[in-house]
Amino acid sequence: MKSETAEKKYMPEMPKREIEELNSTVKSASAKIIADNIARMRKTDPNRPSGMQYFDEVSDFFGQRQKEIQEEKTKGKKVIGYFCVFAPVELILAADAIPVRVNSGWYDTSKLGDRIVPVEVCPVIRSTIGAKMIGLSPYLELSDAVITTLTCDGMTKLSEILSDAMPIWTMTPPRVKDSPQSLQLWKEEIKSIKTQIEKLTGNKITAKKLKEAIETMQKASKAFRRLQDLRKGNTVIMGRDAMLVNQTAMWDDIKRWTKKTEALCDELEKRIQQKLWACSPDTPRVIITGTPMFWPDNWKLPTLIEEATPQGVLVGDELCSSDRVLYDPVGIDEWTMDDMINGIAERYLMASTCPCFTSKDGNEDRINWLLNKVKEYKAQGVIYYVVRGCILYAMEYSRVKKALDKLNIPVYYLDTEYTREDVGQMKTRVEAFLEMLTARVDF
Amino acid sequence: MFEALAGTILAGIVAIGLALAGVLVILIWKKDRTRKLSYLRLFIQLVSLVGIFYSFTLALWLSVFFLVILGVTFFSGRFFCGWVCPFGFYMDLIALLRKKLGVRYRILPDRLNRALNKLRYVIAAVILAAPLFIGALTITPASQVQVLFLSGPFRPIAIMLSPLEPIVVPFTGAIANLGFIPWSLSYPYARDIMVYVNIPLVMEAIIYVFVALTLVGTFLFRRVWCRFCPTGISIAAANRFKNLKWMPLLHISKVEEKCTKCGICKRVCPVQVTEVYEQKGGDIKTSVCLNCMRCVEMCPYEGCLKMNVAGRTIFQSRNWLEPSNNE
Repeated sequence: MKSETAEKKYMPEMPKREIEELNSTVKSASAKIIADNIARMRKTDPNRPSGMQYFDEVSDFFGQRQKEIQEEKTKGKKVIGYFCVFAPVELILAADAIPVRVNSGWYDTSKLGDRIVPVEVCPVIRSTIGAKMIGLSPYLELSDAVITTLTCDGMTKLSEILSDAMPIWTMTPPRVKDSPQSLQLWKEEIKSIKTQIEKLTGNKITAKKLKEAIETMQKASKAFRRLQDLRKGNTVIMGRDAMLVNQTAMWDDIKRWTKKTEALCDELEKRIQQKLWACSPDTPRVIITGTPMFWPDNWKLPTLIEEATPQGVLVGDELCSSDRVLYDPVGIDEWTMDDMINGIAERYLMASTCPCFTSKDGNEDRINWLLNKVKEYKAQGVIYYVVRGCILYAMEYSRVKKALDKLNIPVYYLDTEYTREDVGQMKTRVEAFLEMLTARVDF
Repeated sequence: MFEALAGTILAGIVAIGLALAGVLVILIWKKDRTRKLSYLRLFIQLVSLVGIFYSFTLALWLSVFFLVILGVTFFSGRFFCGWVCPFGFYMDLIALLRKKLGVRYRILPDRLNRALNKLRYVIAAVILAAPLFIGALTITPASQVQVLFLSGPFRPIAIMLSPLEPIVVPFTGAIANLGFIPWSLSYPYARDIMVYVNIPLVMEAIIYVFVALTLVGTFLFRRVWCRFCPTGISIAAANRFKNLKWMPLLHISKVEEKCTKCGICKRVCPVQVTEVYEQKGGDIKTSVCLNCMRCVEMCPYEGCLKMNVAGRTIFQSRNWLEPSNNE
C-alpha cells in the first residue's frame, strides 16, 4: 500500500467536502438509473423470466453484493480488481481472493475525468478516473489491488494515473499473438501476476487449488454458454436481460452466479417448450460489436434497440463486457501446475478478440468470431458501436464491414459518447436501421 | 506343464484386466464426458494388444502385417498408430504413469520436431535393408532362458517391453529363415533374431538400449517414437502427388470461423502437430498426425474440429463443458 503522503503525479487534490458532495449526488443519481433501467427492462418484456429477479438484485452496485464483499474483507479475504478480460480470474480465485471487474460505466464521472485527461480520450477511461476521484465505484474502492492489461493506449495511461491512488499491477499483452516469443512473454506475465497475487493474499496457489478454480470457471463457462445457446433460436430472453446476466458474472460470486444462471436457463427451456417468446419471432435480430458497454449508465444502446419502434432484439454481441466474458474455457490436458499456467496463458491471450492485436490477416480472430456469431444466431444486422476516442475499434470498422458485406449483412456505424444528450438523435438512427432491417425481411 | 499353467494364469489376468477396463470405461464415460474418448482409446488399444498378441501365436506372417499397415495407412491415416499399435499403448501407459506422478512432459522445439519427422525415412530405409544383412549371418541355437523369457509364457511382457518389434523388424526373421524352417516365419521378433544371428550380445545390447531410450524418452516427451516412426511415409508419399490429395480418407478437418485460436489443439497433441492450429480451415492432411482425436476431443468449440471419413463426419468437437441441447 502506498502511504497517503506520497506525491500524486496525476490525481488533483480535491477538498474532502467536494468529494463527498459529488459522491452522494452521483451515487443517488446512479441508484435511480439502475432502478430505471431495470424497470424499463421489465416493461419491455412483461413476461420477464422470474430467474432475472436475482440478477436485478446483484446488479445494484450499492446493494447486497457490496456489503457481502465488505464482510468477506473483514474476515481477511482480499479483493482483486481487474480491467480487461485478460486478467487471469482463475489465479485470483485459487488464491482465495475475490475477483471483481472495475471498469466504469458512469456517464457523470467522465466529466470529472476531463480534469485530468483531455476529452479526446476514451470515455471509459475518463469515467473510471472520475469514479476513482470521488470514490464512487464500490468495487474499485474495495479492491486491494487492480490488474490492468495494457491493451489500448487508454488502458496504458489509466494504470499510470490510477497508481496514484492504489496498487496497480500491469500486464503487457504482446500486440502479435501468433509468434512463439509473444506467448512466452505472456506466460511470464501470468507467472509474475501469480507471484504478486500470492504475495498480497498470503495464500500459496497450489496445483489442487488452481484445479478447483479452473473447474469452477469451467462450470461458469458452461452455464454462460448455455444461456448464449438459448438465444440462438426464437427470442426467449431479451438481449438486455442476457447482457445483464453476463455483466453480473464480472462481480458476483461465481459459484452462486453459475447456480442462478443454470436455474434461469432451466426456466427459459421450459418457456421454449411452451413457445412463450419474449418478443415476436419476426423482430429483427441485431448483434452489437465494438467498445464494451458497462452497467449501469452505458445501457443506452441496448435500451434504444429493444425499445425502438419497430422493435429490435439483441441476440448476441462481440463485447468484452458481455458475450466474451466467460465464453472461452481454460482447456487442460494434464493437471500439472505448468500445464495449467500454460492453459490459462493461452486462453487469455490466444482466444481474445481484442482489437489491440494485429496480424497480417487483419485480426481475423475477431472477424471469425463475428461471422460465426452472425451465422449461428441468424442475425440480420450488426451495429458497430464505438465511443469517441476508442481508436482501435473505430479503425477496424472498414475491415469488419468488408467481411460482413460478403454475407450481405448490413452494418451500421454508431458513434457516441458517455452522455445522455444524444439519445434522441441516436434513437432516430437506430430506428432507421431497424426499419431497414424489417423492410429487408418483408421482401 | 509349468509353461502351460503360467500361460493360463496370464490369459486369466488379461481377461480380468479387460473386464475391469471395460467397467472403468463405462464409469468414466458416464461421469466425465471430457475424457471419454481418451479412455475409449486406451481400451481399444488394450483390446488390440491382446488381439495382436494372440494373432502372433498363430502362424501370422509379420512381414505381411507390416505391409498391410502401410497399405491401410493410405486410407485411414495413421489410425493404426493412435488406436491399435501396441507400442503406442505402451507409450500411453507411461504417459499415464507420468501423469499420476504429476510430472510435466517436455516439449521439443518445433524445428527439432520437424527435423525428427524427416528421420523416419532413414529408419524406413534401415528397416528395409537390415534383413538383407542379417539374413546372411549364421544361426546359433538359443539358450533355455532366452526361449523361456522371449517366446514362452512371458511373451506378453516381451511384447510390452518391446512392442515395436513386429513393425520395426518384420522381414528379418523371415528372410533369415527362408527355406530352412518354414514355421519359424511366425517368430520374427527382434529378440528372436539374436537367437538366430551369431552376435547375440551386440543384438541384445542394442535392444536394451532401444528399450531404455524409448522408456526414458517417452517419460519425458509424449509419444516420442511416433515422431519418427515410418508408418506415416505412405501418406507423406501419396500427398506429394496432386491426384492422391484425397488420401487419407480418415482425417481431421477444421471450420475456420469457429476457431478462436485458443491453442488447445496444439497443446494437447501428443506428437506436437501444429498444422491443426495453423492451417486456416479445411482438411488437415499431415502424415505426422496419429488420428488419436485428442484435439477434436479437447476443442471447446462446437463443431470446430471434425473427424471425417470420406467426407462424412464421425466425430466432432463439442462444447465439452456441456453438450448443446438447444437447436
